[in-house]
Amino acid sequence: MDNTVLIIVSLTLVGMGCGIAIFLVNRFLPEEDKLLKKTEEISKFLPGMNCGACGYPGCFAYAGEIAKDIDILQTSPCMVLMNDDKKVKALGNALGVDLSSGDKKVAVVHCGGNSEILYEYKGIDTCKAAAQLSSGFKKCPYGCFGFGDCVNVCPENAISIDPEKKIVVIDPDKCIGCGLCTKECPQNLIEIIPAKMPQYLACNYLSKKNIPGRERCPLGCIHCRICVKASENEEVTWNEEKDLPFFDPEKCVPSPAAVEKCPKKVIFERNET
Amino acid sequence: MDNLFSIFIMMALVNNFVLAKFLGLCPFFGVSKKLSSAVSMGIAVIVVMFAASVVSWLLFYQLLVPFGITYMRTAIFILVIASLVQILEITIRRTNVNLYNALGIYLPLITTNCAVLGVTFINVDQAFNLAETIVSALGAGVGFTLVLAIMSGIREKLDLADVPKAFKGIPVAFLVAMLLGIAFLAFGGMV
Repeated sequence: MDNTVLIIVSLTLVGMGCGIAIFLVNRFLPEEDKLLKKTEEISKFLPGMNCGACGYPGCFAYAGEIAKDIDILQTSPCMVLMNDDKKVKALGNALGVDLSSGDKKVAVVHCGGNSEILYEYKGIDTCKAAAQLSSGFKKCPYGCFGFGDCVNVCPENAISIDPEKKIVVIDPDKCIGCGLCTKECPQNLIEIIPAKMPQYLACNYLSKKNIPGRERCPLGCIHCRICVKASENEEVTWNEEKDLPFFDPEKCVPSPAAVEKCPKKVIFERNET
Repeated sequence: MDNLFSIFIMMALVNNFVLAKFLGLCPFFGVSKKLSSAVSMGIAVIVVMFAASVVSWLLFYQLLVPFGITYMRTAIFILVIASLVQILEITIRRTNVNLYNALGIYLPLITTNCAVLGVTFINVDQAFNLAETIVSALGAGVGFTLVLAIMSGIREKLDLADVPKAFKGIPVAFLVAMLLGIAFLAFGGMV
């Protein structure tokens, strides 16, 4: 009996001592740095997966920079945060600034796949290496190689390799629009477009840079401009520089006629996500 | 003095906490991916081990032994360590932001680290006096940091090495841990 009381008393005393010590430390030490408090506040709104697409080492470091200078949010934006309208608004409320997000953006691959193979490539299995060897091993020198350099950098595992078409496909539901993959592609095939864009061109055949001795890609855009003619209100315009149709990301108007009339069927419809 | 030095060597190398006593294995694999974070974690562990050992030694010989309730040490030590880490975190946070950025995120991890509890138990089991306790805590912390740093250095290189696909990541880290353990066996006869 005596012992039990002793145990209870000693545990209580030690516990109380610890509690009082923490209280004293909490009470009498100077207030913590305001910047640190702000940083932690901001970092709650960041995705927290440390993808590094914003250019800072991790979300917490990025939050620290925003705490110092709010303009960083605009100059080197976190695409993941900007995609989420509610979070941006909440962050604006927390900081007492008026913030508005852009539209949700996703990445698309400008290649339809299924291009025939010109020669058998047995080198290092990365797209960058394959691109070095006489403009690639596929008949189309501008297409996707399908080795998946972009797959490796995707923080959300949104990119996979289509076994039939032998190119990469991006899952628009998983894609967060961070844009890390666009820098990886040696062919510059991946572009970040607004998620509400109703169609995109699944081809990047640059006829103005034609390579002598190469056949045209039989599956790609033949530059017939039927899509431009089919669009009544100029939803589709012609990009003279690339010699390819152009869908204005600012307008995002659907053009079902262009999708239907394209003789090569390289204008793909997108479902809004 | 001779005795203190041998205690230090014993705790740091011979009875290394990670490789010989199998304590603190969680951070050994969790925080050993990058050298810089491994060293930060190690330094945080050294600080906490030192503070926890001193406080728990005082409590043990001033409170538990006089009242004859030494079997209560587990509960008391855990209580003390947890609140000590809390106090340490608040103190660092309020006084030195740079230090907090370097150590702060690892401190909560240490609260429940068995290596810290282990060193306090070893100190009372071996009936060390206060000086010996301090030295043994520092030795244990240094040994832990050493192993963590070696492991993270190897794992940084391993990321670049051509490891068979099935072994990539954690499996090869386990193999490295085994080899490290064998290497540390060589210290066995020293003290």
